[in-house]
Amino acid sequence: MPQKSCCVALLLFATGLLAQPPVPPVKFTDTRLENGLRVIIAEDHYAPVYAISVSYGVGSKDERKGRTGFAHLFEHMMFKGSEKVGPGEHFFLTFNYGGSMNGTTDADRTLYFEILPKNQLDLGLFLEADRMRSLAITKENLENQRQAVKEERRMGLDNQPYGRTFERADELIYDNFAYKHSVIGSMEDLDAATVDDVKEFFRIYYAPNNAVLALVGDLDTKETLAKVKQYFGSIPRQEQPKPVDLTEPPSKAERREKLDDKLARAPLLLMAYRIPPAKSDDTAALLGLANLFGGGPSSRLYQKLVKEKEVCAQVFANTATRIGTGQFRIMCLVRPGKTLEEAEALISEEVAKLHSAPVSEAELKRMHTSVRRTHIGIRTSVLTRANWLADTAVMHNDPNMINSNLEKALAVTAADIQRVAKAHLRTDNRIVLHTSPAQGGPQLAGPPPAPGAKPPATQPKPAAQ
Amino acid sequence: MTRHILTICVLSVASLSAQAPQGQQQPSDFKGVVRKNLAPISNEILRVKFPKPTETKLKNGMTLLVIEDHRSPTISVEIAMPFSGLNEPMESYGLSSATAEMLTLGTKTLNAREIAEKLADLGASMGASTGERYSYIRFSGLTENLDPLIALLQDVLLNPSFPQDELDKWKARMLANLKVARSQPQFLAAERFQAVLYPSDIRAMIAPTPESIAKITREAVVEFYNKNFRPDGGLVAVSGDTSAKQIAAKLDSILGEWKGAPPKQPDLPMREAIAEKKIYLIHRPNSVQTIFNIGNRAIDRRSPDYIPAMVMNRVLGQGPAARLFRNIREDKGYTYGIGSNFSASHFRNHFQLDTSVRTEVTGPALEEILKEFRDIRDRGVPAEELDLAKRALVASFALGTESPAMAIRNALTIREYGFPADYWDTYPEKVMKVTTEDVQRVAKKYVPMDNLQIIAVGDAAKIRETLAKFGPVEEWDAEGQKVK
Repeated sequence: MPQKSCCVALLLFATGLLAQPPVPPVKFTDTRLENGLRVIIAEDHYAPVYAISVSYGVGSKDERKGRTGFAHLFEHMMFKGSEKVGPGEHFFLTFNYGGSMNGTTDADRTLYFEILPKNQLDLGLFLEADRMRSLAITKENLENQRQAVKEERRMGLDNQPYGRTFERADELIYDNFAYKHSVIGSMEDLDAATVDDVKEFFRIYYAPNNAVLALVGDLDTKETLAKVKQYFGSIPRQEQPKPVDLTEPPSKAERREKLDDKLARAPLLLMAYRIPPAKSDDTAALLGLANLFGGGPSSRLYQKLVKEKEVCAQVFANTATRIGTGQFRIMCLVRPGKTLEEAEALISEEVAKLHSAPVSEAELKRMHTSVRRTHIGIRTSVLTRANWLADTAVMHNDPNMINSNLEKALAVTAADIQRVAKAHLRTDNRIVLHTSPAQGGPQLAGPPPAPGAKPPATQPKPAAQ
Repeated sequence: MTRHILTICVLSVASLSAQAPQGQQQPSDFKGVVRKNLAPISNEILRVKFPKPTETKLKNGMTLLVIEDHRSPTISVEIAMPFSGLNEPMESYGLSSATAEMLTLGTKTLNAREIAEKLADLGASMGASTGERYSYIRFSGLTENLDPLIALLQDVLLNPSFPQDELDKWKARMLANLKVARSQPQFLAAERFQAVLYPSDIRAMIAPTPESIAKITREAVVEFYNKNFRPDGGLVAVSGDTSAKQIAAKLDSILGEWKGAPPKQPDLPMREAIAEKKIYLIHRPNSVQTIFNIGNRAIDRRSPDYIPAMVMNRVLGQGPAARLFRNIREDKGYTYGIGSNFSASHFRNHFQLDTSVRTEVTGPALEEILKEFRDIRDRGVPAEELDLAKRALVASFALGTESPAMAIRNALTIREYGFPADYWDTYPEKVMKVTTEDVQRVAKKYVPMDNLQIIAVGDAAKIRETLAKFGPVEEWDAEGQKVK
């Protein structure tokens, strides 16, 4: 009875629409200047502010051996002066004229952003254009930022429990050097960086044709675009940088390691599976999977490992996508009296359940609702929107991902989730790191490499308050 | 779309100029930055007024504050009950937060898992927490699910069942998380700093102890709930995709019969600054940095010095344009981040500097910090630097208008401290009136020098002697125990 089922389907569709009003799409203009700079503008007149984001297509993946940490160190240099902006004047002006700003580096890209009152539109454009055109680097400035970055490493990794664990995870899961080292880099490599390295990096990667500029807020698109042309239009194009090879040889067997951590007081279990590049068809389902598997108090892992079995003090699962191979990570802080082995066995059991049966309709719907709420959140802040637009354009050549990601997430089915779990959450495709508190006192202290918390290089820059 | 700029005007800042010649100020004023003064800036300060919430009364007498924001189909509701989380016995510290967290861990009809799943199904988050003067239950979620959310709010607020097994699990989780917290140097610094500033009462504690957790019983939780979770004198703050009328009706339908007054606010002494200089060294084995918390008691939120103190701190330590950051990070490269602030409320009144520096520069960094403290106390802030600081405070108001959350917070501050209704409207003028003399006066009064309280967390063997050069040192271990 095709007709009847058609009506039922229509009815369901209709009630579905009533229950879940669509999230309004983000509208933007997308222009390329003659020098290759891609300019994205979205108007939002709610508050008298605007955000400006510049994302450059360069990250730690582009570093060569012996220069780990350089992309991030370079990010610091972008605040140390250009032809018309003195060292430190960038943040001096931004903060004194009512704004806020920062920069952040990850494996794939480097992002700079400001949020300012609307009457300071010229200021934001000028500051970003001047350093794209004419970075002016001295040995002294490199030296003091080298110290600040080394301090950032100490604060985030070397003086924190589990810092080394996160760094080691990247080294273990990847074979290709591009992703096989940390964003923050080693102390030795940070020490080796020279002013010539900075100049070369600037020439190759900090060109208009390797960047995306996004502006969101209380702006007039036409007028803003005219100003963008005025400030950025004459910055010369450079030869397009060679894309770095991100291919990973297939993983043939599980990799596991034990680490001792002199600063930790509880064991930490970290499991990570390789997942395909962000633009893969599997990404939406993997994001959904992480959400319902380990994304909060209603998730399977929380209910089983924190509440029911009381093995983990905290548990998380997340999908971290990259231009190349990403990671599906699961972490558990093990409770006193419990073991890493118990935690691993229980998590493996939960992973096996994902393979053997599809998630329930209730879980699927819950995930869809959660994604909708997240995307509504993204739309309320001008800065979040500007960063998304610039980042997705520079990394994936697709600023419309801010809209299409939501559509794809809402189309994910239980069968999709089961399929991607089977395809990627495989034992031979994962690493397992067991980190235990080290025995013994301070006299056992050796030289670093030592521990810390999260990879800090992706954190905001000037961290004062 | 409602526009929230009610007035735009230019505050005249006579001495301010975009192209101020560099030679005019002493070179040390802007250490860590080279000013070329070539950037195009607008000297107009965009002056914004925060939207004022609509104010009405609910049937049970609570005040309802609403800011409509129809940009997205979401809503946030915050019920502020006028009881203090500080009103709990020190020996069972954690009782108030245990009680708050237990609300979402079981009602007469729903268990903890069902509540968590229901919230996720509704695209919402909900939780209770206790504060200094008010304690809160809040939710935020999708407007399309407002009715079931309101029903769930009623259930967790008015029908909690406090299951024994959930309390046992909460206690076990808290113990495990405490253990992890103790591995973090910032926790150890904060623990000692609060204990030094607020000795012998509940403010000395920043987290429960294994002993205090053991003393939290279900009976005590139920008693705490019955005594404290009451509405009289409280308020409900709402922002989002709703109207005052709509949300009032929904809240009345669930809170109409909820009545009663909580106990009086605690009586906690607000003391003067500590007179004697002292250094507290917390030994954390294997540390490669020294974490500093430096300060002393200063002002509460109602102090007439509050606004001059904010301006002074903007010059000294707030944000990357301030002196501490420019000198100790940008000029010296001793740290990744440094800043200072005032914790000024009803029950806290301290000034605090935070930073972390590599172990080797513990001494030089401390010297530079004290140099900045001395300088702002002894030398008047140059006119241009002062003007920029004031401008920054006022101009940054624009950023706060993006979300109704700031407007709600501002409205709550007015009520909490009994400020006049136009407090925030006149705030910019008050900031602009602060003079060099005001700044120096509050710096001398509140930035400590002879009576510094210094907390340093690091490897004691490596920094003990260095610290001793700055004053008398008392040593503690990473378990929170005094060593000698």
